[in-house]
Amino acid sequence: MSTAKLEKLKSADYKAPGGKLVRIRLKEDQGQIRSVKITGDFFLIPEESLGKLEKMLEDVPLREPELRLLVDRFFRGTGAQGLGVSSDDFVKAILSAKETV
Amino acid sequence: METWRLVDIEYPDNPFMNMAVEEAIPRVVGEGKSPSTVRFWHNSNTIVIGCFQSARLEVNMEACKETETEIVRRFTGGGAVYHDSGNLNYAISLRKGHPLVPGLNLQSVFEKLSEGSVQGLRKLGVKAQFQPVNDIQVDGKKVSGAAGSIRWNTIFHHGCILVGSDLSILGKVLNVPRAKLEDRHVASVQKRVTTVRDELGRDVSTREVRDAIVSGIESCYGVRVKSGDLTKEELGLAEELYQTKYSRLEWNLEP
Repeated sequence: MSTAKLEKLKSADYKAPGGKLVRIRLKEDQGQIRSVKITGDFFLIPEESLGKLEKMLEDVPLREPELRLLVDRFFRGTGAQGLGVSSDDFVKAILSAKETV
Repeated sequence: METWRLVDIEYPDNPFMNMAVEEAIPRVVGEGKSPSTVRFWHNSNTIVIGCFQSARLEVNMEACKETETEIVRRFTGGGAVYHDSGNLNYAISLRKGHPLVPGLNLQSVFEKLSEGSVQGLRKLGVKAQFQPVNDIQVDGKKVSGAAGSIRWNTIFHHGCILVGSDLSILGKVLNVPRAKLEDRHVASVQKRVTTVRDELGRDVSTREVRDAIVSGIESCYGVRVKSGDLTKEELGLAEELYQTKYSRLEWNLEP
């Protein structure tokens, strides 16, 4: 027996204050992020760390306190350096994702 | 006085090989096997996207087909740029710890390593100014964009300078997101960029700009720039990166 599919696709194009764009494409299932793809014209070093952030975001509630905690932990833990994008921008970009058809 | 190696190795009709060379140099410089290096090169019609960008979102694939524009992903962040023979690319590789950029802050790398180009453009009579995060502008219009990284034990900075590029193709092949345009209060990508040719009101060759930038680099960093070749190791690594990374669709077009 198949269960009803509750997964929603959400997306956002969020412009960080410095002018860089953070583009979010995520799958949400019952208030949790199933997967997320973050793209954009920002800088982040080491470059490979973005994949780590995407992985860390899996199965995290799509709510500000949890996201903020996690993204801050990502920056602290990896020592990643963003330019044109901050921890706050990643959080705001993800939260601004709206359902797409 | 430090001597920087100047390399003009390029593959204008093979943007994938050009990018492989672009990565090979800083890797070998970081190992201490090659000196501080500045490279100049050209691509024929090519969109170069940043390493975090989605080709599908940023590039108008249909327009690329019509205009025979290739798409290649670089290994640094930042935004998509359009290259053609009227566009001059430059790249600077310095070993980590180089006194020019003692800190490891990417913003200060961009600012410091754009200075040579700013000086070069000014020598030609272009009122160029560095504009954070990563642009060189003339009266609010972008004439050059830079990107870079700190990796492989190297400080790496590269940029492209619109010398006489065909801006009408640029406007067709790049999708500029609405959010980006609204911010800058201009209607199109074409209106917020300029070229060295338009600023000077005359035809300017990329060679003339290259020579001016070499002179700018020498005067503002106090170094001597001397022509040289790639080493066997760099050429071998470039070939390997071409085969395993830059010639592959999965690197260039995904996600």
